[in-house]
Amino acid sequence: MTASAEHAGTIDIRSLTKRYGTVLAVDDVSFNVPEGSIFGLLGTNGAGKTTTFKCMLGLARPNSGTVTFGGRTLEPAMFEHIAYVPERSALYEWMSGNQHLEFYRRSYKHYDAERARKLTDLFHLDLRKRVKALSKGQQTALAVILAFSIHPKILVLDEPTSGLDPVHQRHVLDLMISESSAGTTILFSSHQIGQVERAAERIAILHNSKLVMQGDVEQLRSDEKIIEATFDSETPSLNGIESDPRVRLVTRNGRLVRAFVRNDTEGLMKLFADKQPRSLRVLDQNLEDIFLSAVGDDINAAKSWGG
Amino acid sequence: MAAIFTVDPHTGVPIYLQLIEQVKRSVALGVLAPGERLPTVKQLATQLTINPNTVARAYRELERDGVIETSVGRGSFVSSNNAVDMSAQALSSVAGSAFDAAVREAKSMGLRRDHVHELFDQALMHWYPTDEAKEQAQ
Repeated sequence: MTASAEHAGTIDIRSLTKRYGTVLAVDDVSFNVPEGSIFGLLGTNGAGKTTTFKCMLGLARPNSGTVTFGGRTLEPAMFEHIAYVPERSALYEWMSGNQHLEFYRRSYKHYDAERARKLTDLFHLDLRKRVKALSKGQQTALAVILAFSIHPKILVLDEPTSGLDPVHQRHVLDLMISESSAGTTILFSSHQIGQVERAAERIAILHNSKLVMQGDVEQLRSDEKIIEATFDSETPSLNGIESDPRVRLVTRNGRLVRAFVRNDTEGLMKLFADKQPRSLRVLDQNLEDIFLSAVGDDINAAKSWGG
Repeated sequence: MAAIFTVDPHTGVPIYLQLIEQVKRSVALGVLAPGERLPTVKQLATQLTINPNTVARAYRELERDGVIETSVGRGSFVSSNNAVDMSAQALSSVAGSAFDAAVREAKSMGLRRDHVHELFDQALMHWYPTDEAKEQAQ
């Protein structure tokens, strides 16, 4: 026996690697999504999020690594309990919303018609229309309705709010939150960091196909700080601080030095204070700041190009 | 129950800490009375659109601090014993760290000690005017 039944919703991804020809799309990515939690996958375009999802769901074959659900590798019977909203619509263009619901009713044992009807009202969707007559946002709404209508144990949502107006975006978040309270495991990606910092308990950040940071969102907010110091000289000597394991990154702008630090801000403040700065302070970081500093190299490169 | 709490997820301050402070503030100011029921974790998470575990974490810490009590099946309530005292103490520590941050900021700008003292006296006089000062103002 591997995992007990009550942890059937746990997702575990280990050393996942996927190559397309010579392109490394996912490079040795590992993370774990506890059952009933909401996990946010962040990354710039092309970072490997969608490929990770595809490898998880058997839509792409990884070159190495494993994905398990409740300790077991994916098998056909599990699809009854897994809902996936892909980034690009997987709906049938020639079929109406009603026909999609009918298709789901026949395919899924736990399909809930009443729930589908309520969600349709919530998103003001006209089910008589064929998918090709729906806007991008309406297609997203239909995909979301279908996903939530089958009471899945695991929900994988790739940009589940793209094209939706802010009210409907909030509906999707509220659905995710109440679904996770009921025990559903949710893994989602979004470029809207505001959504991730509201809904997600844990996050992972992918950058250039690699996992560059992961953790508990509240813990990251507590731990990740910026120490900002101004010095009297243009080239202050920080001997050693830059290579301190608690310091992730140091940026210098003449007399201004910023250190992106993790944990033990107080201890590092003392080290900085010893260097006799003219001023010294600690800045909080929100998730967007943390994300940008985690993928920082590209941002700085873009800025130097922009002049 | 109307949403009496608000959170700003887009700051660097963890949401559970924002919630804890607001509950304590509400209890200390009497907005929440001892014995009053709090929304359930799920209700509050949905009301504020935040992760349920974040709310659960805030409730756990509030319980540990003696501000609220939770009984299985009945929900969470403002503690009848010493919730108000506990919350008042907590507010004093919130005010304390605000002072600390302000003084640290002043120091980081290179202000001298007596100058900071002067600023503090000015603020004190503004918000806690003495009877003399009030008379003078009239």
